[in-house]
Amino acid sequence: MHIMEGFLPWQWCLLWWILALPCLMLGISRLKKLLAADREALPLLGVTGGFIFILSSLKLPSVTGSSSHPTGTGLSAISFGPWITAVVCAIVLLFQSLFLAHGGLSTLGANIVSMGIVGPLAGYAVYRLLRDTPVNIYITVFLVTALADLFTYITTSVQLALAYPAETGGFVSSFILFLGILPLRRFPLQLLKELSLHWCLNISSPRYPDTVEHFL
Amino acid sequence: MRFKYSLEIITVIAIGVFCAVFIYTSSSLPGAGFSGTDTTGSELVANLSGQPVEHFKPLIPQWQPPGAEIESSLFALQAAIGGILVGGVLGYWLGQKKKT
Repeated sequence: MHIMEGFLPWQWCLLWWILALPCLMLGISRLKKLLAADREALPLLGVTGGFIFILSSLKLPSVTGSSSHPTGTGLSAISFGPWITAVVCAIVLLFQSLFLAHGGLSTLGANIVSMGIVGPLAGYAVYRLLRDTPVNIYITVFLVTALADLFTYITTSVQLALAYPAETGGFVSSFILFLGILPLRRFPLQLLKELSLHWCLNISSPRYPDTVEHFL
Repeated sequence: MRFKYSLEIITVIAIGVFCAVFIYTSSSLPGAGFSGTDTTGSELVANLSGQPVEHFKPLIPQWQPPGAEIESSLFALQAAIGGILVGGVLGYWLGQKKKT
């Protein structure tokens, strides 16, 4: 979900840009350090970026007669952490706003915060929490990717509800409305998408252990 | 013991589920446009603000794809870029593995 160009007042656009920029700078700094220390990380970075490119272009139908796409940020968050993921997401979102008119330059900060920062942060937190526990790695990867998507949608709902509080009920009322159209109705399908996509990846590990182990 | 064709079976099941959802929704909701969350969200913003969607003008001028076909092909281009990256690197890794 992107907030489209012109659909956020400039004050909110500015605020979200102010929040996004330090995270992006931190991500660029981490990326430089990573590549300076290990050039072999570059191909994996390409894979996780490519994965976000693919998944965020796949619009899949839902039972409500609408369509949605997963973000694919979970794998990048697991592999490189949330800050580098923010940089990768910013590139994807910039491409979509420039060439597809999905999102926009003024709302790019808000979209980076939701898809590139909060979603991956939530996913990464779950990963760190479950990494050293007996929880099955398939379940961990599934939870990371599903929650990264869910938190992206929740953040977008917050951003829109803050900018457009309902006349009666204010922010809470508006948030519930956005929550209804964005994450809740799509969550079961989102889970299914993540489940199928990441099971495919995980199950291929016995065949290509050297490649897939990077993701785990 | 892992079943030999589990990846293929899960892939087929996933494709089947999405086809079933599409067919079911198309038949039970005639006229379902399968619009994206961007569109639905923008419509709700318009409702809440009491202004039609057309009144929301870009703060920064933005290029729009001239038609739905061009937009679809640009989405396909995005997927292709991702596919080239993923496929290229996986191929590179497999090539390296074969060398060793």
